[in-house]
Amino acid sequence: MSKTSFLYIILIALAFVGLNALFTMNEKEQGLVLQFGEPKRVVQSSGLHFKLPLIQNVIKYDRRILEYDLPVEEVIAVDKKRMLIDSFTRFKITDPLEFYKTVGNESSVRNRLNSNVISSLRRVVGRVTLDELLSKERGNIMENIKVEVNNEASRFGIEIVDVRIRRADLPEANSQAIYERMISERVREAKEFRAKGSEVAQKIRAEADKEKTVILAEATRKSEILRGEGESKAIDIYADAFEQDSDFYSFYRSMQAYGNVLGEDGTTMILSPDSEFLEFFNSSKGKAR
Amino acid sequence: MSWSSNDNNSPWGKKPRENKKSSSNGSGDSYGDDYLKSFQDKLKNMFPKNNPTSLGLVVVILLFIWTLSGFYRVGTDEQGVVTRFGEYVRTTEPGLHYHLPFPIESVFKPKVTKVNRIEVGFRTSQSQFSQTPQTRQTPEEALMLTGDENIVDLNFTIFWIINDAKDFLFNVRNPEITIKSIGESVMREKIGQTPIDPILSEGKSIVEEDVKNSVQAVLDYYQSGVLITQVQLQKADPPELVIESFRDVQRAKTDEQRLRNEAEAYRNDIIPKARGEAERTIQEAEAYKKEVVAKAEGEAQRFLSVYNSYKTSKDVTRERIYLETLEKTLGRIDKVIVDNNAGSGVVPYLPLPELKKKINNNSNSNNEQN
Repeated sequence: MSKTSFLYIILIALAFVGLNALFTMNEKEQGLVLQFGEPKRVVQSSGLHFKLPLIQNVIKYDRRILEYDLPVEEVIAVDKKRMLIDSFTRFKITDPLEFYKTVGNESSVRNRLNSNVISSLRRVVGRVTLDELLSKERGNIMENIKVEVNNEASRFGIEIVDVRIRRADLPEANSQAIYERMISERVREAKEFRAKGSEVAQKIRAEADKEKTVILAEATRKSEILRGEGESKAIDIYADAFEQDSDFYSFYRSMQAYGNVLGEDGTTMILSPDSEFLEFFNSSKGKAR
Repeated sequence: MSWSSNDNNSPWGKKPRENKKSSSNGSGDSYGDDYLKSFQDKLKNMFPKNNPTSLGLVVVILLFIWTLSGFYRVGTDEQGVVTRFGEYVRTTEPGLHYHLPFPIESVFKPKVTKVNRIEVGFRTSQSQFSQTPQTRQTPEEALMLTGDENIVDLNFTIFWIINDAKDFLFNVRNPEITIKSIGESVMREKIGQTPIDPILSEGKSIVEEDVKNSVQAVLDYYQSGVLITQVQLQKADPPELVIESFRDVQRAKTDEQRLRNEAEAYRNDIIPKARGEAERTIQEAEAYKKEVVAKAEGEAQRFLSVYNSYKTSKDVTRERIYLETLEKTLGRIDKVIVDNNAGSGVVPYLPLPELKKKINNNSNSNNEQN
């Protein structure tokens, strides 16, 4: 009886030890085999692995790209403009052994990264102007920071995959100034548009008025010429006819004029009996001429 | 890491039934004979030693069930990523598949056709009180500095799908946060290189396309297994504080157009009128010309006709014309005949106003009769 139970104990103990000699590493992980706390071996491939049971243990780190968001930092550019820079970095643990020896865990590597990236950010941004930071230079600036930080980071067994500036903003006071400038620029633009509009409108109106005057003047010119032509022709016609006997013309025309002018209502004529018309009024013989 | 869990689940070198049993209270095994004894008794009762065939049958059945547990189904919107002891071995397409049962192989099934969205500058949330989703602005994300040092209020959404399930699962921790950070960074970089006017108007699609490509390039560099399908600018406005002045610029533009149109309307009104008036003036002059010539010709002809007749008997005709004219003329008018001699001695009184009155009365009464 006690023999079988002893056998069971042996079996269970063997299973325990045997399983302790095995460990798995998945695709997201990498790790170190430690023997009484002393690193013995780096394991960076996934799958089933062996270690000495009981006396060795395994610590695992992430093998993926890890994120770290840096706090917003006020940085002064070379043109003395202050900027709030919000950046983030992506890193990878490339050497678990160095990582274990120097920092040990992720939260302490964050602290290290924080100071490294920020000091590098200050150095690099301190050499450029705000305009450059906003220009195509930004890619190079971020690349420079990455290279600088990477020099430091390799000591902790990590690789900086990327350093990127998320926001490069002006402090609140400057934003206010920008808003005011934006408003004044728009006011200027609006005024310009309205003024241009009234300029164009006045020009069009003036041109139209001018054109109108020219058209009318031209018409007047033509009409005067036509009238003159008519009148001159009429004069010629009259002259041709009347020159045949100017004396008779005067008489004949006067008679016509009398007929036309006199005889309106209300005309009163005071005649002398001596007038030629009344020649026979006083005597049938008429007056001696 | 934890050995006990390995112990519980591992089948190696062990009969599964024993593991199963020991897992429930394995930790108490080594502590007392009586406990162990009762445990052995239980086992004995379950699988009597005198019947090894039934014990074998149980083992076979358990093994069979364990083997069957390796079947898995990949949905149409999924891909299966199979790992063996944590190591990637294969990717499977939708359908029914088999992997070695649990502790050896396991499967991840990310949804690869699902289009995910990340909102920057705003958050939409479905409120329980209303049907339409509520959007909330996040100004610290939305306000961006443009290339000409203006500030623009921008909302955009990044749409992405899983391109490579294996890379997506194993290469980047927190891919969602990573995509958002990169998207924000790239968008701000792009906006920082673009003046405000194109961003607000026709340049939107260019910005969207550029940002999409740049984000994709960074994500490819990370080997994230993510494909950006679209970057969409939801809103690109001037900031709240200055938007009124931007609107005024728009109004000024329409004002400009309006003034121009009004002026053109004025021109289109007066020019044709002037042309018409000009034409009328010319026609009038033409008419006048014709009129005076015709009149002259007529009068001249009349005179010539009269003159030709007159030539034959000058004196008589002259006299006749004179008398006829006076007859006609004087017949129509009031006449006062004053003898020259009548005035000698006294100044003759000639009451002109009374004469006038009389004439007027006559003419009035005539009018009334008419």
